Amino acid sequence: MAEAMAQKVCSSTSLNPAIQSLPPILCLNNFRRVRRTEDGGPYPIPGLATDFLHMRVREGSKIRNLLRFATARMRGEGKDSHGRSTRQVVFTGSERGVTKTITCVEILKRKVEDLHQVSKLYYKTVDEVWEASQHGAPDVTMQRTVPAICILLSKDPLNPHEPGYQPPHSVSTPTEDTGMCGATLWPPHCPTVAKRFCREDESKCVT
Amino acid sequence: MSEPRKPGMSSLHAVAPVQPSDSPCAVDIDPVEYTLRKRLPRKLPKRRNDVYVNMKTDFRAQLARCQKLLDGGSGHREICVHGLGLAINRAINIALQLQASSQGALQLAANTSTVELVDDLEPEDPDEVAEPLTRTRNNSAIHIKVFYPDPK
Repeated sequence: MAEAMAQKVCSSTSLNPAIQSLPPILCLNNFRRVRRTEDGGPYPIPGLATDFLHMRVREGSKIRNLLRFATARMRGEGKDSHGRSTRQVVFTGSERGVTKTITCVEILKRKVEDLHQVSKLYYKTVDEVWEASQHGAPDVTMQRTVPAICILLSKDPLNPHEPGYQPPHSVSTPTEDTGMCGATLWPPHCPTVAKRFCREDESKCVT
Repeated sequence: MSEPRKPGMSSLHAVAPVQPSDSPCAVDIDPVEYTLRKRLPRKLPKRRNDVYVNMKTDFRAQLARCQKLLDGGSGHREICVHGLGLAINRAINIALQLQASSQGALQLAANTSTVELVDDLEPEDPDEVAEPLTRTRNNSAIHIKVFYPDPK
């Protein structure tokens, strides 16, 4: 579990998530990131159809833009879809985009109902090439392992025994009740309070 | 995790809350300054194998705590790591670290949810006739079950 400091032209693994920023050596020498390649291998979700929509969420992505596109596709609107709606959408994010990925998924679940969800966590390796602003200094190639999340939302039922599976919860209009439905209590498994307030959210309680 | 944190306070020029009758476009900027006070999320009764992750406690300490719950003769077969908002990243890191150090014996199952948080806006100037306002907002949360799979 030792934290490895980034060395020049070698691989580094940033294990301490508190140091999400770059190692100081790069900032001091005014490096500039030139290339960044992720391993775009198959996503760790089994049972993906061939025509799923892939939404890449980054830290600077605007949620409104992402969701406008995703909801249009899922509902089959827009001139591009020719009346067909996509049945599966996959949201992926890494590092600082993970929280935004989860937020997008949660909002989309409210807009489009009855979606089955499978979430997967994994480490993703990212190759970065940093170029020095001073000429003559060698480029630095860095290999980082960053946490990533991959969430599949599907209109078709998925395997409920798959780790990370969440069934669609029945959504009632928020104005009719106290506004608690659609949002779970924190923590999720408080049986007495859960029974009182979010009766249909019990399926979301982690048991 | 057991000690309650001080409600975060910050001053802000609050916008008036959008009344249900208003059209959802322009919001007036209220000239009265408010102090924003975040309410804590609802109290957390937890089982022994629940770990709530925050950004204040040291990462390694939280990781060691999770590791200790899983290890030992009386270790649990599964623990649940929860994270709210910014602590989602840390919760994911803890879960992935636990899995990596177990040499693949542990499995992860992640669930996501939305949590409602309430902010209290209190008027700064006691002379100003302004009512304390409350604003609710949603935040994302993750619940990661770290478990030894049942041998088949």
